[in-house]
Amino acid sequence: MSPRPASFLVTKQAQETKGLLEKMAEQPLHELCPGRPGAEMAALGCALAFAASWAGTPGVIWAGEEGVFAEEGAPYPVGLTQYGLDPAKLIVIRAQKRDEVLWAAEQGLAARGAVVVCALSGRGKPLELKATRRLLLFAERNGSHCLLVRPRTEASAAWTRWRVDYAPSNGEPDEIGQPAFALELLRARAGAAGSRFILDWNAHERRLEERYQEKCEAVFHPVARRQ
Amino acid sequence: MKSVWLSLYLPRLNTDRLIRSRQAPEGRALAVYTKDTGAFLLTGVDARASALGLRLAMSLADARAIHPKLAAVEADPDEDARTLDNIAAWCERFTPIVVLDPPEGLFLDITGCAHLFDGEAALRDQIVTRLHAQGFGARAAIAPTPGAAWALARYGARMIAGDDLKEALSPLPVEALRLQSEAASLLQRVGLKSIGLLLDKPRAPFAARLGEHAMLRLDQALGRATEALTPRRPPPPVFALRRFLEPLFSVDTILVAAGHLCEDVVEKLELRGAGARRAALHLFGVDGRDRVIEIGVSRPERSVKALLRLFREKLNLAAENLDAEFGIEAARLDIVQMESVRGDTRLLVNVSQKTASVEQVNAIVDVLSARLGAERVLRPKLVETHNPERAAGWRPALKDKSIQTKHKAPRDGVMRRPLTLFARPQEIKAMAEVPDGPPVHFHWRRVQRYVVRAEGPERISGDWMNDELTRDYYRVEDKDGRRYWLYREGFYGETEEPPRWFVHGLFA
Repeated sequence: MSPRPASFLVTKQAQETKGLLEKMAEQPLHELCPGRPGAEMAALGCALAFAASWAGTPGVIWAGEEGVFAEEGAPYPVGLTQYGLDPAKLIVIRAQKRDEVLWAAEQGLAARGAVVVCALSGRGKPLELKATRRLLLFAERNGSHCLLVRPRTEASAAWTRWRVDYAPSNGEPDEIGQPAFALELLRARAGAAGSRFILDWNAHERRLEERYQEKCEAVFHPVARRQ
Repeated sequence: MKSVWLSLYLPRLNTDRLIRSRQAPEGRALAVYTKDTGAFLLTGVDARASALGLRLAMSLADARAIHPKLAAVEADPDEDARTLDNIAAWCERFTPIVVLDPPEGLFLDITGCAHLFDGEAALRDQIVTRLHAQGFGARAAIAPTPGAAWALARYGARMIAGDDLKEALSPLPVEALRLQSEAASLLQRVGLKSIGLLLDKPRAPFAARLGEHAMLRLDQALGRATEALTPRRPPPPVFALRRFLEPLFSVDTILVAAGHLCEDVVEKLELRGAGARRAALHLFGVDGRDRVIEIGVSRPERSVKALLRLFREKLNLAAENLDAEFGIEAARLDIVQMESVRGDTRLLVNVSQKTASVEQVNAIVDVLSARLGAERVLRPKLVETHNPERAAGWRPALKDKSIQTKHKAPRDGVMRRPLTLFARPQEIKAMAEVPDGPPVHFHWRRVQRYVVRAEGPERISGDWMNDELTRDYYRVEDKDGRRYWLYREGFYGETEEPPRWFVHGLFA
């Protein structure tokens, strides 16, 4: 079987990804897990990018466990603004316990159009499926979004679950380009799991853009690439 | 509204305190003395000592001569003042306006409160009997002015004065006017022993002899002059008070009561065209303790539902701390801070989607802050300065109503600052190719990281006042694509030691 031309792959994949991202924006609950230990900021950054691109009038509510902030650093308003988050529409909740984060997220989801980024640490008991169902319900009922960022993959009610890793940026050698994420769809309630692509975050346009396929294959982490 | 004052007089406060706290030997007459210009004078005698003929201002030596077995304790005015303050706090279950009248009295402004306690007489009796049960002898009198109430509490036979203050005060001795001792003794000497005799006399000669102060006291007692009293705690502009026939035990019943209080308060707020910014719910327990639940909102609030929701969050959280073993007997809702409401939002017909959602977010902020604490629910605060640490901070969202957006995202979409910043920059072992260049690799969190891209330096000079070194910041990406915000402190060759490197923040 002769290989199909690369350009065909590019367009097809690009369309699929675009469609997937559009569908994602209509669904209330998604989950992002770091691709490997040390990639927590990639998952968080990707969640914030989704949040910035979806946020309605109420803006973004970032509820995090204090442990996560200690490990990855405290949110930095100047950087967040440059990242495309409107400082006038950003609320950060620094909760001490996981239950408080989940409760705060549920409260935040009551605002129509809000995007709640719910960042949990990997410590403690596994998160109950019920807890994710509650988030789903709150978000569904109020027309808001919830992005659950957590290192462990457990049963959840999320519409999609992603494994997120860093991707080398595509800038010139002497400059840092746009933030880039290597995503792998681990689970999707509708549609094919397993698709992988790289998204560049265009903070100015507040849009996640897919990078071309041929560049993409090479950068996946060896562990993630093994099928 | 006609004001109604209750004056509380605790004649044996110091000895009662000692007996109550078991600091006095049991079964013996007790006196409290103080050292005054070399002599020990009695400043307090208990009932037993009083019955033996001991009087205040008697010297301790004389008292011992009369009753050798007398137990004498040195006065502790600070402790007495504290006790008086505790009693004042307890009295706040009857009214929010309690004025300290040291050394042994209190004023309670019970205007509009008495009906909650079945009338003035019943309220007075309740305060006196309950204080007695706690071991404090008390006298209390009610009158339209603080001065008249004071006089009756100490010298009166009838404890509740009607509108005719002249009639009520006439039979009382002149000391009842709270005069300075010289003025009182002067009046005694000229034979004017009762207030009644003083009332009809021409004012001018007395004013000259006794001083204006004495005449002012007379006028204050009669209500001719107003008396400014400073309450123990600033009185809330609006409050509602409820007393319960049966003590409340469960959070649910307390919430029902809180709902009624919210309704009362909202009604008053509406009359004033204001909303609550901060409110405090006082729950007065049968055990005498006052439990305070405070809430704050980010904009003036006067919806019963919204206020009650905040109290519910707080109460559910503090249910175990409430410790209402013996129940709650009264509750008061104070609006600690209020603010005028510009336009009634509830009357608007067309609430735009935008305002609605902003309102919604504010309501959420209130609920979150009530439960997690205001310092955990934050909005960004941006400041125009080159120092990265001082350029931004977080402020409680509850306090921050207007948000200044000085920092705009740069037009080129370049992220010059990281998403997160470490509270303390983390030192790394870095290896730079050239002295003024970015590191080639560095060791952080037990992993060697190889830099593939770097941008910089961005030089940020330190604050010379605090001896801070200049920092050269680099944005670097390692070969896994992870991006860091690093800096070198100082320059190579500046000191003997090579300059140190730090990770200050992380990019996504």
